[in-house]
Amino acid sequence: MSQLEVNKVIPQSGTTLTVGESGDTITIPSGATFDASNATTTLPSTVVTTTGTQTLTNKTIDASQLVDASVSNAKLANSSITLNGNAVSLGGTASIASGMFRNIIINGDMSIAQRGTSKANVGFEYGTVDRFQTLQGGLGQFTQTQDSDVPTGQGFAKSLKMACTTADTSPASGDELYIRQIFEGQNLQYLKKGTANAQSLTVSFWVKSNKTGTYIVELFDLDNSRHINKSYTINSADTWEQKTITYAGDTTGTFDNDNGASLHLAFMLGSGSDFNSGTLQTSWGTSTPANRQVGQVNLADSTSNYINITGVQLEAGTTASDFEFLPYDVNENRCLRYFEEFTGANTHGGLYSGSTYIGHLQYKVRKRTRPTLNNVTGNAYTSISNSSGGDKGGTDNMYFNGNANMYIVTLSIDAEL
Amino acid sequence: MNKENITSAEYIYDIHGHKGMIKVITNDNRYWVPNNAPENKDYQVIQEWIADGGTIIDNGA
Repeated sequence: MSQLEVNKVIPQSGTTLTVGESGDTITIPSGATFDASNATTTLPSTVVTTTGTQTLTNKTIDASQLVDASVSNAKLANSSITLNGNAVSLGGTASIASGMFRNIIINGDMSIAQRGTSKANVGFEYGTVDRFQTLQGGLGQFTQTQDSDVPTGQGFAKSLKMACTTADTSPASGDELYIRQIFEGQNLQYLKKGTANAQSLTVSFWVKSNKTGTYIVELFDLDNSRHINKSYTINSADTWEQKTITYAGDTTGTFDNDNGASLHLAFMLGSGSDFNSGTLQTSWGTSTPANRQVGQVNLADSTSNYINITGVQLEAGTTASDFEFLPYDVNENRCLRYFEEFTGANTHGGLYSGSTYIGHLQYKVRKRTRPTLNNVTGNAYTSISNSSGGDKGGTDNMYFNGNANMYIVTLSIDAEL
Repeated sequence: MNKENITSAEYIYDIHGHKGMIKVITNDNRYWVPNNAPENKDYQVIQEWIADGGTIIDNGA
């Protein structure tokens, strides 16, 4: 191969210089530097890629010159992305997995416990941690606590603990025990349940127990009496483990678009044969009690048994995203929609008519529905009313009445599902 | 509130003379449940208790 050595090549005439002919390959050897920093360079309409890493240093890409949809299957680093300017809109089948309030569970970090931090012999009730209801149907006895045992380095401060205090090694057929959260139908409409576009749901959570083995997590459609139940395994005793379960979307049965109970997510803890003698119902179907806890270990078979759960997240889609931590006040306000512990410290009324005095109580947050009032302490009140309206409190017809000496000190306001 | 624990239930009239609430006594607590509130879970329990034979006392306004 002949070699031409010159310091400069310029056009013989005009301003155009051609190197090679159509079909030729122009090679710049390895280690050579192609310096066009002082020139205006026009690249061909199609840039042929090369192997190796190409670095674009201190340069700006003029987005207006990019052909629409020319960036496909972009691979972005698994770290935060800073967006400058307008909002991002999603099209096609894109989901809002990274959006705010993607967690359908309220208080999934177990941080709010208005009713107290410990409840012995917890029954069919909301015992300690807000929004988590225990359904105790005769399977041993348990103490429920808001516990400080949490997975290390995950950002959680609290967990919900169930510790067996009275064992039941031979459950009666109708015994059952589970922890659940119930959701309003009006908050679930975007799941498109009961349509051909029904969304899958994925639950993720941290769990720890001395009792290893198979556990069941259930989704139950309370509007249409349908359920789907899937299992997970606690592999190591006394060790925090994170679990993820995905449920297919249900194309049958729509959720009512109201403030009533439409869906629950339940952590099963044991049962009698009425609930475990069939085949685990791993696809959506009509309610079959015997298919709900098949294979589930009996957490009540020893007073040494316990389970801790935290970081519960239920979200649309087939993948679990990082737990969505909310500010404490936001989390608390979401819980207050369902329950509020009023401590008025001598809330006195005023004269209404004749010798009848009434006093109004304003709820901190508008309630889901007209609430039940209980655990009342005070003096000389004869009745309490929230007769009409009544989900706001205050002048919304929530009052207590009695004589001039009446006052209210404490009151539980319960609008739970 | 569990229907098994209900020992009595009584209508409570408001200052306008309406059956505003149902006072429910259970083994361990006293509840003021709004009347005609189908989305209230305790009202639902009372309906089940009535279906099982329970009767709400009505002493009038």
